[in-house]
Amino acid sequence: MIPEGDGRIIGYYGYPRRSLLAGARAAFGAELPLVDLDIDYGAPDAGLLPKATCSIITNIMNNAVWLSGRLAVVVAAVGEDKCDGGRNIAWLLKGMGFNVVESRFTGGGAGRPLVWSTSAGPLAERIDRIMETVVEPEPRGAAAQGPGTSGAPRRETGAIAAPPRCEPTHGFWGVPPNDFSILGLFPPTTHIYGWTRCVEAGRPDDLDLETFVDPGVPTVFFTQSFCAKQNLAHYLAERHGGLEVDCHREINDSIMAKVEAFIKLS
Amino acid sequence: MLIADCGSTWTKILDTGSGKLEIIKTRDMVKRRDLHFDVATGHSAKGRCAVFRNELIALAEGALALVPDPDFSVVDVGGRDVKFVRFRDRRVDKLDWNLSCGSSTGATMELLGNYYEIDFRTLPPSADWINVTCGVFGMEKVLEQVSTGTPAEESIAMFLHGIVRNVYDFAGRPETLHLSGGFCENGCFLKTFAGYCDIKPLGRAVPLEGLKAK
Repeated sequence: MIPEGDGRIIGYYGYPRRSLLAGARAAFGAELPLVDLDIDYGAPDAGLLPKATCSIITNIMNNAVWLSGRLAVVVAAVGEDKCDGGRNIAWLLKGMGFNVVESRFTGGGAGRPLVWSTSAGPLAERIDRIMETVVEPEPRGAAAQGPGTSGAPRRETGAIAAPPRCEPTHGFWGVPPNDFSILGLFPPTTHIYGWTRCVEAGRPDDLDLETFVDPGVPTVFFTQSFCAKQNLAHYLAERHGGLEVDCHREINDSIMAKVEAFIKLS
Repeated sequence: MLIADCGSTWTKILDTGSGKLEIIKTRDMVKRRDLHFDVATGHSAKGRCAVFRNELIALAEGALALVPDPDFSVVDVGGRDVKFVRFRDRRVDKLDWNLSCGSSTGATMELLGNYYEIDFRTLPPSADWINVTCGVFGMEKVLEQVSTGTPAEESIAMFLHGIVRNVYDFAGRPETLHLSGGFCENGCFLKTFAGYCDIKPLGRAVPLEGLKAK
């Protein structure tokens, strides 16, 4: 959420390195709130991008323009962990006078255990928890049992006990959607795959992990329209007998019906 | 019991007691405040029925009621979308619902046919096709063909051929494909499709069979 008032904030998008977020706070104020510019907060359309642009990229531009008077800096994910859209927007924002710090993941890293991707519970809530880990190093409830699917050992953190791992009945693959209403269709035993799982694993640039799904699990491969990840979703849906879904901005009734049918019939 | 499949352009209503099937334009159906269905499916059915059923589920269950084969595929080409279900051992193996690239192709076909006064029962198929990215882009291609001298009949047959290619690819290029929806009554569409696979029309009441099945 965006703090009320006209106080300074630090904007970010994608999954920037935490050291850069910490550096931004050190430089501009340790107390400054971090605001995820990927999210649709209802900012007015800045009209600076073509209509056929991924909604997430459009959100970044609209939010930046809307909050321009408050943004001390934008910490921008511009590497393989994000997309060309993220890199191009950083260039545009710099040209518009924004203070931009670029972040790139270059592979490797210790990784983190999977907790919310593989546990039971409302899908939207678990995706929210995962995205919180971008700025909060330990996912709430990271004290889990056994090794994670990512291969990294689970850690005892003293945090709130995590829900136990469940066997997946369905899968959701993709990025957090612009419109979360679609997530309410999935049963609680849905596992999370794709880039969202990569975020929880702390490896947002890991294409092998991003393209992993458990064989035999009926999976919806979701992308925003006009996103390069549609190539992956199309291929993976064909390969695994899943359902490819893309959506521009809000989810409509037809898309909801399509996902509902897939979940009920698969 | 009154059941209905309320599509974007046509509404199919079946009285299960008498067996009477009525097909009316959806634009007329929405004006009739007296019409209320026991069970219904389709874009325009919400708020007009006691029980609403998902269209893709109705199609799948209707196809199972009509086709005895263990393995088969069915596609419904509607006014504004295309739905597809593939069965293995009479269980759903794959399904999809094209809401964007298939958007409005059926409705556009009807609009063009009415405008150019085309009889699709006698329209000869065309060996050529135009890319039908969606209804609007497809219409633009038809108008371009007509403006550059291609007869309207040939241009529309090419448009129709473009839809056939899209549907065939969407269904995964099967050897045999069962067809649901209004295109079952379009002779040119069926003849064009026969150049790609064995096409078996099931008629316009497949989703109604699905509603009856439950």
